[in-house]
Amino acid sequence: MFGLLESGFQQFYWGNALMLVIGGLFIYLAIARKMEPLLLIPIGFGILLVNLPLGGMMDYQLEVRATAAGNVLEVQMDEGDKFKEGDTICLLDSGEVLTPVFGRIAEIKVSPDQHVEAGDVIASIITMQQTDQSKVPTEPIGLLSRIFKFGIMWQVLPPLMFLCLGALTDFGPMLANPKTLLLGAAAQFGVYFAFFMALLFGFTLPEACSIGIIGGAEGPTTIYVTSILAPQIIGATAVACYSYMALVPIILPPVIRLLTTKKERAIYMKPQLREVSRLERILFPIITTIVVILIVPFSAPLMGCFMVGNLFRECGVTDRLSNTAQTTLVDMLTIFLTLSIGATMPAENFLQPKTLLILVLGVVAFATAAAAGVVLAKIMNLFSKEKINPMIGAAGVSAVPMSARVVQVMGQKENPRNFLLMHAMGPNVAGAIGAAIAGGVFLGIIG
Amino acid sequence: MVDWNLAVRIASGGFGMVFLILAVLALLVWLTYLAVNRFSKGSLNTEEKKRH
Repeated sequence: MFGLLESGFQQFYWGNALMLVIGGLFIYLAIARKMEPLLLIPIGFGILLVNLPLGGMMDYQLEVRATAAGNVLEVQMDEGDKFKEGDTICLLDSGEVLTPVFGRIAEIKVSPDQHVEAGDVIASIITMQQTDQSKVPTEPIGLLSRIFKFGIMWQVLPPLMFLCLGALTDFGPMLANPKTLLLGAAAQFGVYFAFFMALLFGFTLPEACSIGIIGGAEGPTTIYVTSILAPQIIGATAVACYSYMALVPIILPPVIRLLTTKKERAIYMKPQLREVSRLERILFPIITTIVVILIVPFSAPLMGCFMVGNLFRECGVTDRLSNTAQTTLVDMLTIFLTLSIGATMPAENFLQPKTLLILVLGVVAFATAAAAGVVLAKIMNLFSKEKINPMIGAAGVSAVPMSARVVQVMGQKENPRNFLLMHAMGPNVAGAIGAAIAGGVFLGIIG
Repeated sequence: MVDWNLAVRIASGGFGMVFLILAVLALLVWLTYLAVNRFSKGSLNTEEKKRH
């Protein structure tokens, strides 16, 4: 029955209002400024949905149990009450029973003077907090929480998304100029720099790895690594990664201008890359799969899916599979992934110093990655007869193809004859491979 | 308490590993190009000889 007591207004607070503004901002940027609408609209709408209280779309249920036997002295909460992590649900003569997460009470299962044994259920609670399932296991009861748990936390959607990205990626420019693989490698410096910064700011090793991998600028890689190493911060890292991928046109240019002179930015690169044969395009995903997975086995889900998608594209005999991966499948996965990622941002999660710090470190990761790519390009120019425009190093930030487009636009401003897009695509796609390898290395060491 | 020794080993080893793998890949891509080029030139020469 609809009544004021059952409406979301009772639980709505200033934090929800602020998050509605942030979600609205994402949607505005997507529609009015056309900034990565396929990502920002579902993320922004996911933020809206999860900040309208009692909607239940991102709810998890868990039972709070007594850790020791005792008699219930006082029950301090009622059904429907909101609480923060660490609040007291009830007092036993043997100690307090605290809430392990933020949320609200679904049902109180004890009453005063009742005797409980260790392990007895004290209360059933509902939360939107992402938890380490080995420590605080929860059961998804909402639409988006089910998609999140069974799609993302079970590591299903991110590798499939990588398969689609492989089908969408043309490795031709990189194969025509394999030196650009090194620029993609250099850009992964941003991953490790952000990793160190995260440790300095007090994050644990697994959390620092999850924050560092934002610098790979690959959404599926970030989600995949974080879901295994630090699921409690997956919302912040994923939103940071996808948001900054959309903000690459704002992040990259100042970094490039800071590290290059006008003369360097105007370096002309011949627009014609050598033609890459069909056999090379077919052999590349097969060779890469074998080499990378033998060296870094933990990169298998990401690298394997990436390369099989690319093989679908390049072999010429699986057009149906390639077309499906490039269109229907990628769209479906984008909807599920980004909507549920946006829904990991209720105000209680987002408006924490830890989350805001992750967002800042994400920008640091992106900017450092771009800087490292530019610096290596300049170093390569010292030893190379045919100069490369150092701006293409910044395209190692593998927000494909946005980074390459940014370099193209900047290149044309400095020298209207310069057509850098295809040259920048080399490091751009190489960065995607580098990010998957970096993620696999983290998982191999820490996971 | 952060084990900085471990952190340095993770970062340097990780970055080194990524760089090494991509350098190896770059080399393999170049070698594949040479092999494919040689193979297709060899095939063209054989076809020309057959015609003459």
